[in-house]
Amino acid sequence: MGKNLHDFLSQLEGQLQHDLVRVEQTVSPAQFEVTALLQHLEEMKKFPALFFEKPLNLKGKPSRFPLLSNFFATRQRCALSLGMSADDAKLALSLEYARREEKLISPVTVSTKEAPVKEVVKRGDDADLYEFPIVRHHAMDPAPYIDMTPVMKDPEQGFYNVAFLRNMVKGPRRLGIHMSPRHNWQIHRKNEEKKRPTPVAIVVGHHPAFYLGALNVSPFGVDDYARIGAVMGEPLRLTASETWGEDFMVPADAEIVIEGHVLPNVKEVEAPFGEFTGYYGPQRLRPVIEVTAITHRRNAVFQHIFVGHRDNWVLGGIPKEGSLFNLIRGIVPTVKAIHFPISGCCRFNCYVSVDKKIDGETRQAALAALAGCDFVKHVVVVDADIDVYNEEQVMWAMATRVQADQDVDIIKNAKGNTLDPSQTDDIMTAKMIIDATRPVQRPFAARVEVPKEALAKTRLEDFISPAILERLPKA
Amino acid sequence: MANIFWVTCPKCRGEFYCHTQELRHKGIKLLCPYCSHQFLDEESPRIME
Ligand SMILES: [Zn+2]
Repeated sequence: MGKNLHDFLSQLEGQLQHDLVRVEQTVSPAQFEVTALLQHLEEMKKFPALFFEKPLNLKGKPSRFPLLSNFFATRQRCALSLGMSADDAKLALSLEYARREEKLISPVTVSTKEAPVKEVVKRGDDADLYEFPIVRHHAMDPAPYIDMTPVMKDPEQGFYNVAFLRNMVKGPRRLGIHMSPRHNWQIHRKNEEKKRPTPVAIVVGHHPAFYLGALNVSPFGVDDYARIGAVMGEPLRLTASETWGEDFMVPADAEIVIEGHVLPNVKEVEAPFGEFTGYYGPQRLRPVIEVTAITHRRNAVFQHIFVGHRDNWVLGGIPKEGSLFNLIRGIVPTVKAIHFPISGCCRFNCYVSVDKKIDGETRQAALAALAGCDFVKHVVVVDADIDVYNEEQVMWAMATRVQADQDVDIIKNAKGNTLDPSQTDDIMTAKMIIDATRPVQRPFAARVEVPKEALAKTRLEDFISPAILERLPKA
Repeated sequence: MANIFWVTCPKCRGEFYCHTQELRHKGIKLLCPYCSHQFLDEESPRIME
Protein backbone atom coordinates (compact mmCIF):
# COMPACT_ATOMS: atom_id res chain seq x y z
CA MET A 1 0.00 0.00 0.00
CA GLY A 2 1.37 3.41 -0.95
CA LYS A 3 0.94 6.65 0.95
CA ASN A 4 -2.68 7.71 0.89
CA LEU A 5 -5.10 10.23 2.33
CA HIS A 6 -7.00 7.82 4.62
CA ASP A 7 -3.93 6.68 6.56
CA PHE A 8 -2.67 10.24 6.77
CA LEU A 9 -5.91 11.64 8.20
CA SER A 10 -5.88 8.95 10.91
CA GLN A 11 -2.31 9.95 11.82
CA LEU A 12 -3.21 13.64 11.81
CA GLU A 13 -5.96 13.17 14.35
CA GLY A 14 -3.41 11.52 16.65
CA GLN A 15 -0.73 14.17 16.11
CA LEU A 16 -2.58 17.50 16.11
CA GLN A 17 -5.64 17.52 18.31
CA HIS A 18 -8.58 19.62 17.13
CA ASP A 19 -6.78 20.31 13.85
CA LEU A 20 -9.23 18.22 11.85
CA VAL A 21 -12.85 18.99 12.63
CA ARG A 22 -15.48 16.46 11.59
CA VAL A 23 -18.79 18.08 10.65
CA GLU A 24 -21.67 15.66 11.02
CA GLN A 25 -24.50 17.94 9.90
CA THR A 26 -25.64 17.91 6.29
CA VAL A 27 -24.12 20.69 4.18
CA SER A 28 -24.74 21.77 0.62
CA PRO A 29 -21.37 22.58 -1.00
CA ALA A 30 -23.00 23.75 -4.23
CA GLN A 31 -25.06 26.30 -2.27
CA PHE A 32 -21.96 28.01 -0.79
CA GLU A 33 -22.49 26.44 2.66
CA VAL A 34 -18.97 24.99 2.86
CA THR A 35 -17.24 28.22 1.88
CA ALA A 36 -19.51 30.21 4.21
CA LEU A 37 -18.30 28.07 7.12
CA LEU A 38 -14.68 28.47 6.01
CA GLN A 39 -15.11 32.24 5.74
CA HIS A 40 -16.59 32.44 9.27
CA LEU A 41 -13.62 30.49 10.63
CA GLU A 42 -11.18 32.67 8.69
CA GLU A 43 -12.66 35.77 10.27
CA MET A 44 -12.04 34.16 13.67
CA LYS A 45 -8.42 33.50 12.52
CA LYS A 46 -9.02 29.76 12.80
CA PHE A 47 -7.91 27.41 10.07
CA PRO A 48 -8.80 23.80 10.87
CA ALA A 49 -9.16 21.18 8.15
CA LEU A 50 -12.86 20.37 7.85
CA PHE A 51 -14.12 16.87 7.13
CA PHE A 52 -17.76 16.98 6.07
CA GLU A 53 -19.34 13.60 6.77
CA LYS A 54 -22.64 14.27 5.00
CA PRO A 55 -22.34 16.69 2.11
CA LEU A 56 -25.01 16.84 -0.58
CA ASN A 57 -24.10 16.00 -4.16
CA LEU A 58 -25.01 18.09 -7.21
CA LYS A 59 -28.42 16.36 -7.37
CA GLY A 60 -29.20 17.73 -3.91
CA LYS A 61 -29.05 14.20 -2.44
CA PRO A 62 -26.71 12.87 0.27
CA SER A 63 -23.41 12.08 -1.45
CA ARG A 64 -21.63 8.80 -0.81
CA PHE A 65 -18.40 10.83 -0.72
CA PRO A 66 -17.35 12.83 2.34
CA LEU A 67 -15.66 16.15 1.59
CA LEU A 68 -12.26 17.37 2.84
CA SER A 69 -11.75 21.16 2.96
CA ASN A 70 -9.01 23.56 3.96
CA PHE A 71 -6.34 20.93 4.56
CA PHE A 72 -3.42 23.06 3.39
CA ALA A 73 -4.35 26.21 5.33
CA THR A 74 -1.57 25.75 7.91
CA ARG A 75 2.13 25.15 7.49
CA GLN A 76 1.98 22.77 10.44
CA ARG A 77 -0.26 20.34 8.54
CA CYS A 78 1.99 20.68 5.50
CA ALA A 79 5.01 19.79 7.67
CA LEU A 80 3.24 16.68 8.96
CA SER A 81 2.46 15.76 5.34
CA LEU A 82 6.19 15.47 4.69
CA GLY A 83 6.67 13.42 7.85
CA MET A 84 8.16 16.38 9.75
CA SER A 85 7.30 17.84 13.13
CA ALA A 86 4.73 20.64 13.29
CA ASP A 87 7.46 22.67 15.03
CA ASP A 88 9.54 22.61 11.84
CA ALA A 89 6.93 24.41 9.77
CA LYS A 90 8.94 27.50 8.84
CA LEU A 91 12.17 27.54 6.81
CA ALA A 92 13.01 23.93 7.78
CA LEU A 93 9.89 22.76 5.94
CA SER A 94 10.75 24.69 2.79
CA LEU A 95 14.34 23.49 2.82
CA GLU A 96 13.26 19.89 3.31
CA TYR A 97 10.94 20.29 0.33
CA ALA A 98 13.82 21.67 -1.75
CA ARG A 99 16.13 18.85 -0.62
CA ARG A 100 13.64 16.19 -1.64
CA GLU A 101 12.78 17.89 -4.92
CA GLU A 102 16.37 17.64 -6.16
CA LYS A 103 16.39 13.84 -6.50
CA LEU A 104 13.69 12.28 -8.67
CA ILE A 105 12.11 8.98 -7.59
CA SER A 106 10.69 7.07 -10.55
CA PRO A 107 7.12 5.79 -10.16
CA VAL A 108 6.26 2.09 -10.00
CA THR A 109 3.40 0.26 -11.70
CA VAL A 110 0.78 -1.84 -9.98
CA SER A 111 -1.98 -3.86 -11.62
CA THR A 112 -5.49 -2.44 -11.72
CA LYS A 113 -6.53 -5.26 -9.36
CA GLU A 114 -4.12 -3.99 -6.71
CA ALA A 115 -5.01 -0.32 -7.20
CA PRO A 116 -7.40 1.09 -4.56
CA VAL A 117 -8.56 3.77 -7.00
CA LYS A 118 -10.05 0.98 -9.16
CA GLU A 119 -12.33 -0.40 -6.46
CA VAL A 120 -15.24 1.29 -8.25
CA VAL A 121 -15.08 1.84 -12.03
CA LYS A 122 -17.68 3.75 -14.02
CA ARG A 123 -17.37 4.21 -17.77
CA GLY A 124 -19.29 6.24 -20.33
CA ASP A 125 -22.75 7.38 -19.24
CA ASP A 126 -22.34 5.61 -15.87
CA ALA A 127 -19.68 8.19 -15.00
CA ASP A 128 -21.64 11.01 -13.38
CA LEU A 129 -19.97 14.11 -11.93
CA TYR A 130 -23.24 15.07 -10.23
CA GLU A 131 -22.69 12.28 -7.66
CA PHE A 132 -19.86 14.32 -6.12
CA PRO A 133 -20.17 17.01 -3.42
CA ILE A 134 -18.55 19.63 -5.63
CA VAL A 135 -18.06 23.05 -4.07
CA ARG A 136 -19.27 26.36 -5.43
CA HIS A 137 -16.83 28.77 -3.83
CA HIS A 138 -17.61 32.45 -4.36
CA ALA A 139 -20.60 34.58 -5.32
CA MET A 140 -19.56 35.26 -8.93
CA ASP A 141 -18.59 31.64 -9.72
CA PRO A 142 -21.16 30.43 -12.27
CA ALA A 143 -21.07 26.78 -11.15
CA PRO A 144 -19.42 24.36 -8.76
CA TYR A 145 -15.76 23.85 -9.62
CA ILE A 146 -13.36 20.95 -9.16
CA ASP A 147 -10.07 22.66 -8.32
CA MET A 148 -7.56 19.86 -7.89
CA THR A 149 -4.94 18.44 -10.28
CA PRO A 150 -5.47 17.43 -13.90
CA VAL A 151 -2.63 15.26 -15.26
CA MET A 152 -1.60 15.43 -18.91
CA LYS A 153 1.07 13.54 -20.86
CA ASP A 154 3.40 15.13 -23.37
CA PRO A 155 2.61 13.54 -26.75
CA GLU A 156 6.22 13.77 -27.97
CA GLN A 157 8.39 12.96 -24.97
CA GLY A 158 5.97 10.99 -22.82
CA PHE A 159 6.46 12.80 -19.50
CA TYR A 160 3.47 13.58 -17.28
CA ASN A 161 2.58 17.05 -16.07
CA VAL A 162 0.47 17.57 -12.96
CA ALA A 163 -0.93 21.02 -12.13
CA PHE A 164 -3.70 22.66 -10.13
CA LEU A 165 -6.24 23.86 -12.69
CA ARG A 166 -9.86 24.87 -12.30
CA ASN A 167 -12.62 22.73 -13.84
CA MET A 168 -16.11 24.21 -14.18
CA VAL A 169 -18.92 21.67 -13.97
CA LYS A 170 -20.95 22.03 -17.17
CA GLY A 171 -22.85 18.74 -17.16
CA PRO A 172 -22.75 15.20 -15.74
CA ARG A 173 -19.86 14.37 -18.09
CA ARG A 174 -18.69 17.80 -19.21
CA LEU A 175 -16.16 20.16 -17.63
CA GLY A 176 -14.56 23.44 -18.61
CA ILE A 177 -10.81 23.73 -18.07
CA HIS A 178 -8.72 26.87 -17.60
CA MET A 179 -5.06 26.64 -18.55
CA SER A 180 -2.75 29.63 -18.35
CA PRO A 181 0.15 29.44 -20.81
CA ARG A 182 2.23 27.03 -18.78
CA HIS A 183 3.00 23.33 -19.02
CA ASN A 184 -0.41 21.64 -19.48
CA TRP A 185 -1.35 24.36 -21.94
CA GLN A 186 1.72 23.48 -24.02
CA ILE A 187 0.73 19.80 -24.06
CA HIS A 188 -2.82 20.67 -25.13
CA ARG A 189 -1.51 23.03 -27.80
CA LYS A 190 0.70 20.31 -29.31
CA ASN A 191 -2.30 17.97 -29.58
CA GLU A 192 -4.64 20.67 -30.80
CA GLU A 193 -2.29 21.59 -33.65
CA LYS A 194 -2.74 18.00 -34.90
CA LYS A 195 -6.51 18.14 -34.22
CA ARG A 196 -6.11 15.45 -31.52
CA PRO A 197 -7.92 15.40 -28.18
CA THR A 198 -5.70 15.65 -25.10
CA PRO A 199 -6.07 12.82 -22.58
CA VAL A 200 -6.54 14.18 -19.06
CA ALA A 201 -6.96 12.52 -15.66
CA ILE A 202 -8.04 14.69 -12.73
CA VAL A 203 -6.77 13.47 -9.36
CA VAL A 204 -9.32 14.45 -6.71
CA GLY A 205 -7.97 13.41 -3.31
CA HIS A 206 -4.59 11.88 -2.49
CA HIS A 207 -1.99 12.00 0.30
CA PRO A 208 -1.26 15.73 0.88
CA ALA A 209 2.41 15.25 -0.09
CA PHE A 210 1.14 14.34 -3.58
CA TYR A 211 -0.32 17.83 -3.92
CA LEU A 212 2.72 19.56 -2.39
CA GLY A 213 4.81 17.64 -4.91
CA ALA A 214 2.53 18.70 -7.75
CA LEU A 215 3.49 22.30 -7.05
CA ASN A 216 7.17 21.76 -7.81
CA VAL A 217 8.75 24.45 -9.92
CA SER A 218 10.51 22.10 -12.33
CA PRO A 219 11.09 23.15 -15.92
CA PHE A 220 8.84 21.77 -18.64
CA GLY A 221 10.01 18.26 -19.54
CA VAL A 222 10.58 16.87 -16.03
CA ASP A 223 8.21 14.00 -15.24
CA ASP A 224 5.96 15.26 -12.45
CA TYR A 225 5.15 11.72 -11.28
CA ALA A 226 8.88 11.28 -10.49
CA ARG A 227 9.05 14.70 -8.83
CA ILE A 228 5.96 13.96 -6.75
CA GLY A 229 7.51 10.65 -5.69
CA ALA A 230 10.60 12.58 -4.60
CA VAL A 231 8.53 14.92 -2.41
CA MET A 232 6.45 12.03 -1.03
CA GLY A 233 9.68 10.16 -0.22
CA GLU A 234 8.65 6.97 -2.01
CA PRO A 235 7.84 5.92 -5.59
CA LEU A 236 4.38 7.04 -6.63
CA ARG A 237 2.30 3.96 -7.45
CA LEU A 238 0.66 4.17 -10.87
CA THR A 239 -1.87 1.98 -12.61
CA ALA A 240 -3.34 1.84 -16.10
CA SER A 241 -6.18 4.22 -16.88
CA GLU A 242 -9.57 2.95 -18.00
CA THR A 243 -9.61 5.04 -21.15
CA TRP A 244 -6.09 4.61 -22.55
CA GLY A 245 -4.75 1.57 -20.65
CA GLU A 246 -0.98 1.61 -20.08
CA ASP A 247 -0.55 4.47 -22.54
CA PHE A 248 -1.72 6.81 -19.79
CA MET A 249 -1.01 5.91 -16.18
CA VAL A 250 -2.91 7.31 -13.19
CA PRO A 251 -2.10 7.39 -9.45
CA ALA A 252 -3.15 4.04 -7.97
CA ASP A 253 -3.62 5.33 -4.41
CA ALA A 254 -5.74 8.37 -5.30
CA GLU A 255 -9.20 8.73 -3.86
CA ILE A 256 -10.89 9.59 -7.16
CA VAL A 257 -9.66 9.85 -10.76
CA ILE A 258 -11.79 11.50 -13.44
CA GLU A 259 -10.64 10.59 -16.95
CA GLY A 260 -11.57 12.46 -20.10
CA HIS A 261 -10.48 14.20 -23.27
CA VAL A 262 -9.84 17.89 -23.70
CA LEU A 263 -11.58 18.38 -27.03
CA PRO A 264 -9.46 19.95 -29.79
CA ASN A 265 -10.53 23.35 -31.06
CA VAL A 266 -13.64 23.53 -28.87
CA LYS A 267 -13.98 26.54 -26.60
CA GLU A 268 -16.93 27.67 -24.51
CA VAL A 269 -17.54 30.47 -22.03
CA GLU A 270 -16.10 29.65 -18.61
CA ALA A 271 -15.77 31.60 -15.32
CA PRO A 272 -15.74 34.22 -13.68
CA PHE A 273 -13.90 32.27 -11.00
CA GLY A 274 -12.55 33.45 -7.65
CA GLU A 275 -8.82 32.95 -8.14
CA PHE A 276 -5.69 32.73 -6.00
CA THR A 277 -5.26 36.50 -6.10
CA GLY A 278 -8.45 36.99 -4.09
CA TYR A 279 -10.15 38.46 -7.19
CA TYR A 280 -12.29 36.86 -9.86
CA GLY A 281 -10.70 35.95 -13.16
CA PRO A 282 -12.97 37.18 -15.99
CA GLN A 283 -15.36 35.06 -18.03
CA ARG A 284 -13.52 33.84 -21.10
CA LEU A 285 -13.41 31.17 -23.78
CA ARG A 286 -11.85 28.01 -22.50
CA PRO A 287 -11.46 24.37 -23.62
CA VAL A 288 -13.89 21.63 -22.67
CA ILE A 289 -13.34 18.14 -21.21
CA GLU A 290 -15.62 15.25 -22.12
CA VAL A 291 -15.49 12.74 -19.26
CA THR A 292 -14.90 9.13 -20.33
CA ALA A 293 -14.59 7.32 -16.98
CA ILE A 294 -14.54 7.84 -13.22
CA THR A 295 -12.77 5.46 -10.86
CA HIS A 296 -12.58 5.70 -7.09
CA ARG A 297 -11.98 3.93 -3.80
CA ARG A 298 -15.06 2.38 -2.23
CA ASN A 299 -14.76 4.86 0.67
CA ALA A 300 -13.32 7.70 -1.39
CA VAL A 301 -12.98 11.23 0.01
CA PHE A 302 -13.66 14.17 -2.30
CA GLN A 303 -11.19 17.02 -1.76
CA HIS A 304 -11.14 20.65 -2.78
CA ILE A 305 -8.98 23.72 -2.18
CA PHE A 306 -10.44 27.00 -0.86
CA VAL A 307 -8.95 29.08 -3.67
CA GLY A 308 -8.06 32.69 -2.90
CA HIS A 309 -7.59 31.87 0.79
CA ARG A 310 -4.91 30.34 3.02
CA ASP A 311 -5.64 26.79 1.85
CA ASN A 312 -4.52 27.84 -1.61
CA TRP A 313 -1.79 30.27 -0.58
CA VAL A 314 0.20 28.22 1.94
CA LEU A 315 0.23 25.23 -0.40
CA GLY A 316 1.64 27.35 -3.21
CA GLY A 317 4.26 29.13 -1.12
CA ILE A 318 6.20 26.28 0.47
CA PRO A 319 7.55 24.71 -2.76
CA LYS A 320 8.62 28.11 -4.06
CA GLU A 321 10.42 29.07 -0.84
CA GLY A 322 12.63 25.99 -0.84
CA SER A 323 13.56 26.12 -4.51
CA LEU A 324 14.32 29.83 -4.43
CA PHE A 325 16.38 29.55 -1.23
CA ASN A 326 18.64 27.01 -2.93
CA LEU A 327 18.90 29.19 -6.03
CA ILE A 328 19.78 32.33 -4.04
CA ARG A 329 22.28 30.47 -1.85
CA GLY A 330 24.23 29.54 -4.97
CA ILE A 331 24.66 33.24 -5.72
CA VAL A 332 24.60 34.85 -2.27
CA PRO A 333 25.93 32.33 0.29
CA THR A 334 25.03 34.67 3.18
CA VAL A 335 21.27 34.22 2.60
CA LYS A 336 19.61 33.23 5.88
CA ALA A 337 15.90 32.74 5.19
CA ILE A 338 13.13 33.26 2.68
CA HIS A 339 9.37 33.59 3.06
CA PHE A 340 6.36 34.11 0.82
CA PRO A 341 3.93 35.82 3.24
CA ILE A 342 0.18 35.31 3.33
CA SER A 343 -0.25 39.03 2.59
CA GLY A 344 1.10 38.46 -0.93
CA CYS A 345 -1.00 35.34 -1.61
CA CYS A 346 2.27 33.42 -0.89
CA ARG A 347 3.30 34.30 -4.43
CA PHE A 348 3.66 38.00 -5.20
CA ASN A 349 5.69 39.21 -2.19
CA CYS A 350 8.95 37.56 -1.22
CA TYR A 351 10.93 38.39 1.92
CA VAL A 352 14.62 37.39 1.96
CA SER A 353 17.08 37.85 4.81
CA VAL A 354 20.84 38.00 4.31
CA ASP A 355 23.75 38.32 6.69
CA LYS A 356 25.09 41.04 4.46
CA LYS A 357 28.86 41.50 4.13
CA ILE A 358 28.96 43.56 0.92
CA ASP A 359 26.37 46.12 -0.19
CA GLY A 360 25.56 44.63 -3.62
CA GLU A 361 24.57 41.24 -2.17
CA THR A 362 21.03 42.34 -1.52
CA ARG A 363 20.34 43.18 -5.17
CA GLN A 364 21.92 39.89 -6.25
CA ALA A 365 19.63 37.97 -3.90
CA ALA A 366 16.58 39.90 -5.06
CA LEU A 367 17.36 39.47 -8.75
CA ALA A 368 17.80 35.73 -8.24
CA ALA A 369 14.38 35.54 -6.55
CA LEU A 370 12.76 37.45 -9.41
CA ALA A 371 14.46 35.34 -12.07
CA GLY A 372 13.74 32.06 -10.33
CA CYS A 373 9.96 32.42 -10.08
CA ASP A 374 7.82 34.54 -12.38
CA PHE A 375 5.06 34.86 -9.76
CA VAL A 376 7.31 37.07 -7.61
CA LYS A 377 6.58 40.80 -8.03
CA HIS A 378 8.09 42.42 -4.95
CA VAL A 379 11.23 41.30 -3.17
CA VAL A 380 12.07 42.84 0.19
CA VAL A 381 15.58 42.04 1.37
CA VAL A 382 16.26 42.46 5.09
CA ASP A 383 19.17 41.87 7.45
CA ALA A 384 19.59 38.66 9.39
CA ASP A 385 18.27 40.29 12.60
CA ILE A 386 14.82 40.43 11.00
CA ASP A 387 12.56 37.35 11.09
CA VAL A 388 11.09 37.08 7.60
CA TYR A 389 8.20 35.04 9.03
CA ASN A 390 7.25 38.05 11.18
CA GLU A 391 5.71 40.62 8.85
CA GLU A 392 5.67 43.31 11.55
CA GLN A 393 9.46 43.07 11.72
CA VAL A 394 9.80 43.20 7.93
CA MET A 395 7.62 46.31 7.77
CA TRP A 396 9.64 47.87 10.60
CA ALA A 397 12.82 47.29 8.61
CA MET A 398 11.17 48.90 5.59
CA ALA A 399 10.11 51.85 7.69
CA THR A 400 13.51 52.45 9.24
CA ARG A 401 16.12 51.20 6.75
CA VAL A 402 14.70 52.29 3.40
CA GLN A 403 15.18 55.54 1.51
CA ALA A 404 12.94 55.12 -1.50
CA ASP A 405 15.14 57.10 -3.88
CA GLN A 406 18.17 54.92 -3.07
CA ASP A 407 16.83 51.56 -2.01
CA VAL A 408 13.96 50.82 -4.40
CA ASP A 409 14.49 49.48 -7.93
CA ILE A 410 11.76 48.89 -10.48
CA ILE A 411 12.08 46.55 -13.44
CA LYS A 412 9.52 47.05 -16.19
CA ASN A 413 8.06 44.63 -18.73
CA ALA A 414 8.92 41.34 -17.04
CA LYS A 415 6.73 38.24 -17.24
CA GLY A 416 3.93 38.37 -14.71
CA ASN A 417 0.67 36.55 -14.11
CA THR A 418 -2.44 37.07 -16.18
CA LEU A 419 -4.64 36.85 -13.07
CA ASP A 420 -2.96 39.80 -11.32
CA PRO A 421 -5.64 42.51 -11.54
CA SER A 422 -3.09 45.33 -11.23
CA GLN A 423 -1.39 44.36 -14.49
CA THR A 424 -2.29 46.60 -17.39
CA ASP A 425 -0.85 44.06 -19.84
CA ASP A 426 -2.08 40.49 -20.18
CA ILE A 427 1.39 39.02 -19.61
CA MET A 428 3.87 41.70 -18.59
CA THR A 429 4.27 43.25 -15.17
CA ALA A 430 6.58 45.53 -13.19
CA LYS A 431 8.83 44.05 -10.51
CA MET A 432 10.14 45.88 -7.46
CA ILE A 433 13.16 45.33 -5.26
CA ILE A 434 13.21 46.97 -1.84
CA ASP A 435 16.54 46.85 -0.07
CA ALA A 436 15.60 47.16 3.61
CA THR A 437 19.06 46.29 4.89
CA ARG A 438 21.44 48.55 6.74
CA PRO A 439 24.30 49.92 4.63
CA VAL A 440 27.71 48.33 5.15
CA GLN A 441 29.77 51.31 4.04
CA ARG A 442 28.54 54.02 6.44
CA PRO A 443 27.83 54.09 10.17
CA PHE A 444 24.22 53.23 10.98
CA ALA A 445 22.11 53.59 14.12
CA ALA A 446 21.82 50.68 16.56
CA ARG A 447 18.55 48.95 17.54
CA VAL A 448 17.33 49.65 21.04
CA GLU A 449 17.67 46.75 23.43
CA VAL A 450 17.10 46.05 27.10
CA PRO A 451 20.36 44.65 28.55
CA LYS A 452 20.47 40.85 28.19
CA GLU A 453 21.67 40.44 31.80
CA ALA A 454 18.63 42.35 33.04
CA LEU A 455 16.32 40.19 30.95
CA ALA A 456 17.90 37.05 32.35
CA LYS A 457 17.72 38.00 36.01
CA THR A 458 14.40 39.88 36.06
CA ARG A 459 11.68 37.26 35.79
CA LEU A 460 8.13 38.33 35.01
CA GLU A 461 6.52 35.83 37.36
CA ASP A 462 8.46 37.25 40.32
CA PHE A 463 6.66 40.58 39.88
CA ILE A 464 3.25 39.78 38.33
CA SER A 465 1.28 36.72 39.37
CA PRO A 466 0.81 33.96 36.76
CA ALA A 467 -2.99 34.32 37.18
CA ILE A 468 -2.85 37.97 36.12
CA LEU A 469 -0.44 37.19 33.28
CA GLU A 470 -2.88 34.58 32.00
CA ARG A 471 -5.72 37.11 31.98
CA LEU A 472 -3.85 39.85 30.10
CA PRO A 473 -5.42 40.54 26.70
CA LYS A 474 -3.33 39.67 23.65
CA ALA A 475 -2.36 42.57 21.38
CA MET B 1 -4.88 41.13 -16.01
CA ALA B 2 -6.28 41.27 -19.51
CA ASN B 3 -8.72 44.05 -20.36
CA ILE B 4 -12.17 43.35 -18.99
CA PHE B 5 -15.65 44.74 -19.50
CA TRP B 6 -18.45 44.64 -16.94
CA VAL B 7 -21.90 43.55 -18.12
CA THR B 8 -25.33 43.45 -16.49
CA CYS B 9 -27.53 40.39 -16.99
CA PRO B 10 -30.76 41.53 -18.73
CA LYS B 11 -32.73 38.90 -16.79
CA CYS B 12 -31.54 39.14 -13.15
CA ARG B 13 -29.57 42.44 -13.31
CA GLY B 14 -26.53 40.70 -11.81
CA GLU B 15 -23.19 42.25 -12.76
CA PHE B 16 -20.05 40.36 -13.78
CA TYR B 17 -17.07 40.81 -16.08
CA CYS B 18 -15.61 39.24 -19.18
CA HIS B 19 -12.33 39.12 -21.13
CA THR B 20 -12.54 41.93 -23.70
CA GLN B 21 -10.39 40.40 -26.42
CA GLU B 22 -12.22 37.08 -26.33
CA LEU B 23 -15.83 38.14 -25.75
CA ARG B 24 -16.53 41.78 -26.63
CA HIS B 25 -18.40 42.20 -29.96
CA LYS B 26 -17.77 38.55 -30.82
CA GLY B 27 -21.37 37.41 -31.18
CA ILE B 28 -20.79 34.84 -28.43
CA LYS B 29 -23.44 34.43 -25.74
CA LEU B 30 -22.24 35.26 -22.25
CA LEU B 31 -23.34 33.14 -19.29
CA CYS B 32 -24.80 34.92 -16.27
CA PRO B 33 -23.12 33.38 -13.21
CA TYR B 34 -26.11 34.19 -11.01
CA CYS B 35 -29.12 32.92 -13.03
CA SER B 36 -27.47 30.99 -15.93
CA HIS B 37 -29.22 33.21 -18.50
CA GLN B 38 -27.29 33.36 -21.79
CA PHE B 39 -27.17 36.66 -23.66
CA LEU B 40 -25.11 38.66 -26.15
CA ASP B 41 -23.01 41.51 -24.78
CA GLU B 42 -25.10 43.95 -26.84
CA GLU B 43 -28.18 42.87 -24.86
CA SER B 44 -26.63 44.03 -21.60
CA PRO B 45 -28.51 47.10 -20.29
CA ARG B 46 -25.20 48.53 -19.10
CA ILE B 47 -21.63 47.91 -20.19
CA MET B 48 -18.61 49.36 -18.45
CA GLU B 49 -15.36 49.15 -20.39
ZN1 LIG C 1 -28.72 36.69 -14.56
